[in-house]
Amino acid sequence: MSRLAIFGIGNILLGDDGVGPAVARYLDDNFDHDDEVIVEDLGTPSLSLPGYLIEHDAVIFIDAVAGDIPGTIVTYTREEIVAVEPGIRISPHEPSINDALILLDFAGAGPRDVTLIGVVPETLDGGVTLSPRVAAAVPGAAQAAVAEAARRIGGALVRRVVGAASQRPAVARPFTW
Amino acid sequence: MTKIVIDPITRIEGHLRIDVEVDGGEVQKAWASSTMFRGIERILLGRDPRDAWFFTQRFCGVCTTVHALASVRAVEDALNLEIPLNAQYIRNLTLICHALHDHVVHFYQLSALDWVDVTQVLKADPKKASAIAESLSEWEGNSSKEMAAVKNRVKALVDSGQLGPFAHGYWGHPAMKLPPEVNLIAVSHYLQALEYQRYANQVVAMLGGKTPHIQNVAVGGVSNAINPDSDATLNIDRLYQMKALLDKIVPFIQNVYVPDVCTVAGFYPEWFGYGAGVTNYLSVPDLPLDEKSTQFELPGGFIPNGDLSKFRPITGQKDENFRKAVTEDNTHAWYKGSGGLHPWKGETDPEYTDWQADGKYSWVKAPRYEGQPTQVGPLANVLCGYAAGNPLMIKWTDAALDKVSAIAKVKATPAMLHSTLGRHAARAVRAAVLSELALKQWQLLTDNILRGDSKVFNQPEFPKGEIEGVGFHEAPRGTLSHWVVIDNGAIKNYQAVVPTTWNASPRDAKGVPGPYEASLLKNPIADPEHPLEVLRTVHSFDPCMACAVHMFDPSGRKVARVKVL
Repeated sequence: MSRLAIFGIGNILLGDDGVGPAVARYLDDNFDHDDEVIVEDLGTPSLSLPGYLIEHDAVIFIDAVAGDIPGTIVTYTREEIVAVEPGIRISPHEPSINDALILLDFAGAGPRDVTLIGVVPETLDGGVTLSPRVAAAVPGAAQAAVAEAARRIGGALVRRVVGAASQRPAVARPFTW
Repeated sequence: MTKIVIDPITRIEGHLRIDVEVDGGEVQKAWASSTMFRGIERILLGRDPRDAWFFTQRFCGVCTTVHALASVRAVEDALNLEIPLNAQYIRNLTLICHALHDHVVHFYQLSALDWVDVTQVLKADPKKASAIAESLSEWEGNSSKEMAAVKNRVKALVDSGQLGPFAHGYWGHPAMKLPPEVNLIAVSHYLQALEYQRYANQVVAMLGGKTPHIQNVAVGGVSNAINPDSDATLNIDRLYQMKALLDKIVPFIQNVYVPDVCTVAGFYPEWFGYGAGVTNYLSVPDLPLDEKSTQFELPGGFIPNGDLSKFRPITGQKDENFRKAVTEDNTHAWYKGSGGLHPWKGETDPEYTDWQADGKYSWVKAPRYEGQPTQVGPLANVLCGYAAGNPLMIKWTDAALDKVSAIAKVKATPAMLHSTLGRHAARAVRAAVLSELALKQWQLLTDNILRGDSKVFNQPEFPKGEIEGVGFHEAPRGTLSHWVVIDNGAIKNYQAVVPTTWNASPRDAKGVPGPYEASLLKNPIADPEHPLEVLRTVHSFDPCMACAVHMFDPSGRKVARVKVL
């Protein structure tokens, strides 16, 4: 059980669909938090997503969302997410965040407090890098997540200060997830 | 003649499109088509083979663990690398728990609504439902109080005018025929399944460090440090935490999932008569028990034409027949070339036309085993186990058939398993077998650690020049094989032949249809606008088009399209 979970969602092999995991990684690299908060790259959880949500009071998702201008950051409320009606499922991939929340509503479980920070992708073609416009949106989406987190728990995520002793700039981790 | 197209348009592009021609209330012709090019194997070219599993497990969020394991096994096969016993057991336990999670989720969350009419729950008598459930198995969650609570939950949902998670079900369809009480039992267990599938996933996370997308495998073994005296490693305390989870999961599989499938099947016995399709079956041996991966807990092999007496076992990844038998044909797939190429020579160069009934119509290639279309999945696994005389497979298959017979009041036989319902029954049988083996693998691991063995890894070394390997795994959706060619320590070619490729295969050079396509023939269609029967048969395979795009579409576009032409 955590008070707040921040989940990046998406497939890192499909170009900008990997923006959710990229933001989760960015948060992990640049911010500290205590045990009440978890930050996780959830990849593509599909049908098991409800199971990951049950144990948290509040959840902030970061995911690619449909839209016109790549790199745009849009925030959706829980009500806006569940208003999207689920359709016929052929494969276990179809269920999405809205399906998971609707199922949990019926089960009377899971977080009531949910926000989705969406980033509009440019390309979903196979590839392990983000397009320049979406990559440029990662710090902004991370900042939006930090602000959403702070509204729930003051100082939930605190920017890591590079130790004065090292006098070295922060070095990005190799891109290995 | 009516033509029906079912085309999910979730998240930008669909995954699986089904076209059927209906005449005289029956399907006469069918096409299965994947509508999205991926070719993500190309991302692997030139990379270090030790890293491949990290990429391949991201192919897909549903089958993540299985692609990690098949990948390291392929590289280990190329290097003839032995795997320490602890690593084998840890991998086996991970794969079993992943499969248990997957099978439960498939039945309750994906396919139960093909058979269960949620609105009928309102007519159910909770006391009667409880009595029926208790007559089927011992389970703590079958009280009349529990049933009444679930009925109230459904009533509140229906009263709200929104059907929530059931909005995409074909409730009220003339092909629905479970009694109200059985519908209520199924919905109760649907809710309980939400909790129990998590326990299986928690075991995967404890061993894998994280789920989805485990972190603990490596070419040569696993990276789980073992030290019974350390709090920071896999120790006795952690093992018993896992055991406590297994002790919750196993009864749910055996006393809830298996009886539910048998009960549903017992009320739809006619569906043992539809959906056989391709009856060549392939499964691979899995759950290796020795360091050289020559002994396996579960057998695999090939069954031609549904004839179990002609079963031919596959001995392991080094099996020469298996290594030669697999080809992929591009005649009707949107790739260049046509002839059947072996995966080590496989090509993934796209050549898109539009959807052409007699030409190219799918992004899925057509895999063939000895030139034949072949069905994979739990049914193939169970039939091969049955034919090979595996005691657990025989025990649970016979138990399930007895339960179906008692409810349907007709004698259910193994021959009836070649069908739409047979695939559901086999999945439940396989889950029951795996639930027993979970406890066994846990015991093997615990005993081995207590004997003082803490070895988990053998260092891989890459020779100069070209080597090739195949790694296979009997995954929840069937036989998965990864084929790798390594040149001077870098990946030169990589092909994943995934279960859904076998089953969703398009026609081949000879025009022979694949398993989905063949299984739909002669299925009844009561209402072309609501082709529930097509979904029943397609869902019974548990389709999973690798690597979904998980994008949320806030516009509220309809998520699937059923077009009647």
